[in-house]
Amino acid sequence: MTFKDHRDFIETLKKTGDLIEVTKEVDWDIEAGAIGRRMYEMGGPSIWFKKVKDYPEGYTLYNGSLGTWRRVAISLGLPPETPVREIYRIYEERLEKPVAPIILEKKKAPCKENILFDDQVDLYRFPAPMIHEGDGGRYIGTWDLVVTKDPEMGWTNWGMYRFMVHNKRWLAGWPQPTSQLAYQLKKYYLPRNQPMPVALVIGADPIAHMVATAPLRLGEDEANFTGALRKKPIELVKCETSDLFVPAHSEIVIEGEIPMDQIVPDGPFGEYPGYRSGTMAEGVGFRVKAITYRDNPILTMIALGVPIDDSSIAASLTAGIAMKRGLQHRGIPVVDVFVPPEGVTHLIYVSVKKGGSQVTQEVLEYFTARRVMVSKVIVLDEDVDIFDSGQVLHAFATKCHPGRGIWVEHYEGRANSLTPCYSPKERARLKGASVAFDTTWPPEWPQEIVPIKASFKTIYSKEIQEKINQNWKSYGFK
Amino acid sequence: MKKEYQTFVRQFKDLKEGKQNLFIKDLTPGPRKYDTRYVRAEIFRDPGKIKNSEILRIRSESGVLLPQPWGIKIFEELPESVPGQPWEDVFKAVEKNENLKP
Repeated sequence: MTFKDHRDFIETLKKTGDLIEVTKEVDWDIEAGAIGRRMYEMGGPSIWFKKVKDYPEGYTLYNGSLGTWRRVAISLGLPPETPVREIYRIYEERLEKPVAPIILEKKKAPCKENILFDDQVDLYRFPAPMIHEGDGGRYIGTWDLVVTKDPEMGWTNWGMYRFMVHNKRWLAGWPQPTSQLAYQLKKYYLPRNQPMPVALVIGADPIAHMVATAPLRLGEDEANFTGALRKKPIELVKCETSDLFVPAHSEIVIEGEIPMDQIVPDGPFGEYPGYRSGTMAEGVGFRVKAITYRDNPILTMIALGVPIDDSSIAASLTAGIAMKRGLQHRGIPVVDVFVPPEGVTHLIYVSVKKGGSQVTQEVLEYFTARRVMVSKVIVLDEDVDIFDSGQVLHAFATKCHPGRGIWVEHYEGRANSLTPCYSPKERARLKGASVAFDTTWPPEWPQEIVPIKASFKTIYSKEIQEKINQNWKSYGFK
Repeated sequence: MKKEYQTFVRQFKDLKEGKQNLFIKDLTPGPRKYDTRYVRAEIFRDPGKIKNSEILRIRSESGVLLPQPWGIKIFEELPESVPGQPWEDVFKAVEKNENLKP
């Protein structure tokens, strides 16, 4: 099943029991965020706040689109109970066949039902939530996708970056300085001192938002991969004030530009690693030129924080497959990559056909070569089911040599400044370190000395296993 | 009832009394709460120090609230943004690494 838009997805979630509608009035100031956060921590459904304080009927908030693996499965048109490993497999398979978007006429695009220009622009028309107590402001852009373009390469980037309301016509944002948006800005717009056109999209097809979290290669358009995952083209429409194209069925599109000579403060904000950790800086300013939106707009949000939530789930899938592709590209004998949501893309499991210290160092080199979002990598033999953190923990505890199995790489200028353990000085210089844990048997060990895993399936012969299995009920077990 | 504002500093030890330019958030309840203004103002530790002054709540870079609010007297509204380049300081660090390609 392919969803036309977020509304279509919401209707399906109602039927599957993965959504609760709250009709009691809820305050956009802290209350909606706190409810959303508590619900994530209970592993509960997504929430549609139908009546928001200070706002007219029809201006609603929706939290938690893809906050569970069930909802991710549904968004991909799969049965809700689809196992995570299978979701990974299908996602990887579909990515192989990109589907180009199609362009809709303006009059057919729902996101053009209402259009505000220049002096009409007022960001306070929308119930942007104050998500956590102590945040720097009201984050209208959390579960968003931000569209920018590299005019030289003709390549359009979709990224998920935080943006808060600065005042009625400015947003303040903080795409990471190592993000693809930053790359485009630095490469093209900054040298020319030319404002960068930008569009912040809220409430598009759920898959479009998920793809916006994917660390695709430079030059790859997320729109094509959204089509691949939907197995149908996504419909785009041209912006009113630039040549950017945005999903036509979006709830709200905020158009504007990032000036190269003006800045406004952003943050702090409780971020995806699960902390509010001092990323308060001179962010980018976003001067709003127009807002287009549907009648009765639904503002999608994430009450971001400790896992598991939409961010940690979406990034698990999109980053996991991107990392697998990257490792394969380098010739590393990777079997699987799993990004456990609890590790918030800081901790990665990689299984390989052949391990050892050399392969472990090659894996670490891959993760630290460019921008570094990962701080800990566990490299495992392929007999470990890396989608089972219990198995990974057992292997790590027993197979990683504390003296010669740990490899550390230090770097500067490309670290993840959201990593909470970095000091303010380290964050400012993008200075950090990553570690790889070799949790594989040394390939030079003769087979006869490799310890045998004492599990039912590995320490007993097939004959014994079959005998036990066949007689299981006769022992009086169920 | 005195009006209340909020501002952020990296660390509380950075706070200095006196006249200065700063970004403040308007804490007046309603749909425009947290609206940002850039102002020239005098800030002071004792909120009762200056007549007709207002309340300034202060938070650190990780959002920790200073238990005791300060006072603020606003003299002038300044432009809504300040001159500067996106990620100005961070870009300098980034440029040290030639291999950077996201």
